[in-house]
Amino acid sequence: MAGGVVDVTSSLVRDVKQVARGWRWTHRQLPPRSAEPHHVFPEAREFPTDWARSRVAVAAREAILRGGLTPLVRHETTLRVEGLDVLDGLDGPVIFVANHSSHLDTALLLTTLPPEWLRRVAVGAAADYFFDAWWRAVGSALVFATFPIERGGVGLSETPTKLLAQGWSLVMFPEGTRSPDGWTRRFRLGAAYLAAHNNVPVVPVALVGSYAAMPRGRGWPKPGRPPVHVRYGRPLAVQPGEEARAFGGRVAAALGTLLDEDRTDWYGARKRAAAGVTPSPAGPDVARWRRVWESSAGPAPVRRRPRAWR
Amino acid sequence: MARPGFVLEVDERTPPLLVHSGESFRLQDFPLGSRVIYPPESLPGVPDVDEAIEAALLHPIDSEPLPSLLHAGMRLTIAFDDLSLPLPPMRKPDIRQRVIEHVLEHAARAGVDDVQIIAANALHRRMTPDELKAIVGERVFRSFFPDNLVNFDAEDRANLAHLGHTDEGEDVEISKRAAESDLLVYVNVNLVAMDGGWKSTAIGLASYNSLRHHHNSHTMVHSRSFMDRHKSQLHSSAWRMGRVLSEHVKVFQIETTLNNDAFPSQYGFLTKREWEWSMRDQATFLGAKRGIDLMPAKARRKLFQSMEAPYLVTGISAGAVEPVHDATLERVHRQQLVDVDGQSDVLVLGLPYLCPYNVNSVMNPILAACLGLGYFFNMYVGQPLVRKGGAIILNHPVPWEFSTLHHPSYVDFFDEVLSVSTDPKVIEQKFEQQYATDPWYIHLYRTSYAYHGVHPFYMWYWCAHALDHVGDVIWVGGDRRAVARMGMRSASSFADALEMASDTVGRAPSITYLHSPPHVLAHVK
Repeated sequence: MAGGVVDVTSSLVRDVKQVARGWRWTHRQLPPRSAEPHHVFPEAREFPTDWARSRVAVAAREAILRGGLTPLVRHETTLRVEGLDVLDGLDGPVIFVANHSSHLDTALLLTTLPPEWLRRVAVGAAADYFFDAWWRAVGSALVFATFPIERGGVGLSETPTKLLAQGWSLVMFPEGTRSPDGWTRRFRLGAAYLAAHNNVPVVPVALVGSYAAMPRGRGWPKPGRPPVHVRYGRPLAVQPGEEARAFGGRVAAALGTLLDEDRTDWYGARKRAAAGVTPSPAGPDVARWRRVWESSAGPAPVRRRPRAWR
Repeated sequence: MARPGFVLEVDERTPPLLVHSGESFRLQDFPLGSRVIYPPESLPGVPDVDEAIEAALLHPIDSEPLPSLLHAGMRLTIAFDDLSLPLPPMRKPDIRQRVIEHVLEHAARAGVDDVQIIAANALHRRMTPDELKAIVGERVFRSFFPDNLVNFDAEDRANLAHLGHTDEGEDVEISKRAAESDLLVYVNVNLVAMDGGWKSTAIGLASYNSLRHHHNSHTMVHSRSFMDRHKSQLHSSAWRMGRVLSEHVKVFQIETTLNNDAFPSQYGFLTKREWEWSMRDQATFLGAKRGIDLMPAKARRKLFQSMEAPYLVTGISAGAVEPVHDATLERVHRQQLVDVDGQSDVLVLGLPYLCPYNVNSVMNPILAACLGLGYFFNMYVGQPLVRKGGAIILNHPVPWEFSTLHHPSYVDFFDEVLSVSTDPKVIEQKFEQQYATDPWYIHLYRTSYAYHGVHPFYMWYWCAHALDHVGDVIWVGGDRRAVARMGMRSASSFADALEMASDTVGRAPSITYLHSPPHVLAHVK
């Protein structure tokens, strides 16, 4: 009798495990690839993230970021932050637009923002990756204040517009995914569209060295405290009558100038921008390995300032 | 809009797939790259069935409207498909009831007194009064049973008419009442492409003397497949007989087609594509499977046998047999046909609890073999899904269990005949006559509810094409003794079956799983 009960229970457990694994209870269920043309995708239901912007969640996030992540980032990398003064005098929401080559990028950006900005910033994150599994969605929404963005050609949800209207700034990575070789890819127009339609400025942010520090495939920065730079650029406002596409071009150019500035100096970068000869942030048109090779080197280490008095 | 059928290629996103196995089912992981053939989704039914029936009767194909064929003083015979169709039985009212009622309305209006309604069961068992009533409905049953609503008796020599021979010398011998009527109306349910056409009358109302010409191992091996009328010797023979028949009696054929709604809504997961299962479907599967597996065998059988399919009628055609059947096939193909590129080394089939010959009964090992190797294997047009010399893996428990009421000759066939030989040709030559003419079996067929003595032979002949074509037949979960008696092998799991099949098809075979029921007909290019 007892043996029968054990058998029934164990076979039920086996079946439940099989169903849980087969239907990816911990992940978003995806149709087999060959079934996609025959699959009716249910209307996408956005993962709810309002709770992650509640007072309690904001307080918890600040504690996690300030108390845990910031010291960790500074311990694991050699961080240099430039241009935060551009935020002085800004009132109201902005869209931070950054290049993207590493999972480190969001942490770099959030841990370098002043506290008053950090408390009111939300990060656009790929719905199919960060919101694929409930535990990942909850974790990223709590720690990084993420909200889902569909990358598969689906139109923008109403969430970012709603957030801007509520005074939340946004962090967006218009490349849509991490760069496979450290160089900047083509910008999608979502961020520019949002800025143009909500009339909010865009703050370009150049993230340099994150690819070298923690490229795709790594879950932790390389040892040796690799150098990473976070450089904030001057806000760009949408001009009257300016289309999202044109504005997006300006944002991409501004980010290119920032990257150039990080490699060289501010004045030289400005001159090259004025002459229209800013080096392309997309990198040289050479073999892939050479592009990866160059990106992997990271930014030049910060030279110690010569001492005035020895 | 119903989605078409398609061929899935199993990848890492594919959940385990539902596989039927007798009075149960399970989930099975398939190797990456396996092909799975899914039927088209259920087509919508006609908006108004009664209206569609009337339209078919009043505007038939290549025939005068039914009312103009009816007149007082005539002999009218209405024949209909027996309980072997559809599977599972249809939720009431059965489409045959609705059609017969419409035909009778017209007959009553024309003042026809001499009406006989015959179940075209050929050598199948007689149906019980309740089973007859379930098909024709209470009104028809009350009006005609028992004198003028009858099962066809293929051994009632006095009531058989020999109409002559086909140009290939085949005897055409059918129900005398049907052959000598002024009008024979046939009411068909066309579940698969094999049904209907001249098979309805020339087989359903025929005697052994006629049936032996096509129900034999030679014809069956050369019917490639039964579902492709133009390549089926069985159908060619039936068509030849039909033409002889049509010289003697006017046949008004009414064919109906059903969609793929084979299971009640509470078992909706059985007809859904697995990756589209909701949490509710998953929970229902887990609950249903556990419940079914824990049930006593008797209760489990009762549960399955009481299942009624909520089929919708996709169309009704009436008129001359051949053009009506062409219209029917077009609808059946629309519901079931799926294009498949090429054959594979291994064909996997999950066999459900029901075949045409165990309605309200037991699926014995011979019927299980017939369902897998006779019916499912033949669900193709073009070429078989498995290559010549390949392997078939069947999922069914194959219990050594027989209904002595319904299948008495099967018991002896299994014990006496299959223990001597499993070669259809050999057993045909050595044993068929003996069983076909055995007075005890004939007595049981005529007076009890037994299939005819020769019926198990026919079931084995249905397997002949598959047995001739494949190199290995392996049953997953099959009773070892029963499977061995049939000259096949049993495996305890799908993985073991593939391991066993590696002798025949190698270690990395291409695999195709025919995801059925509901019915799917593979057009193999």
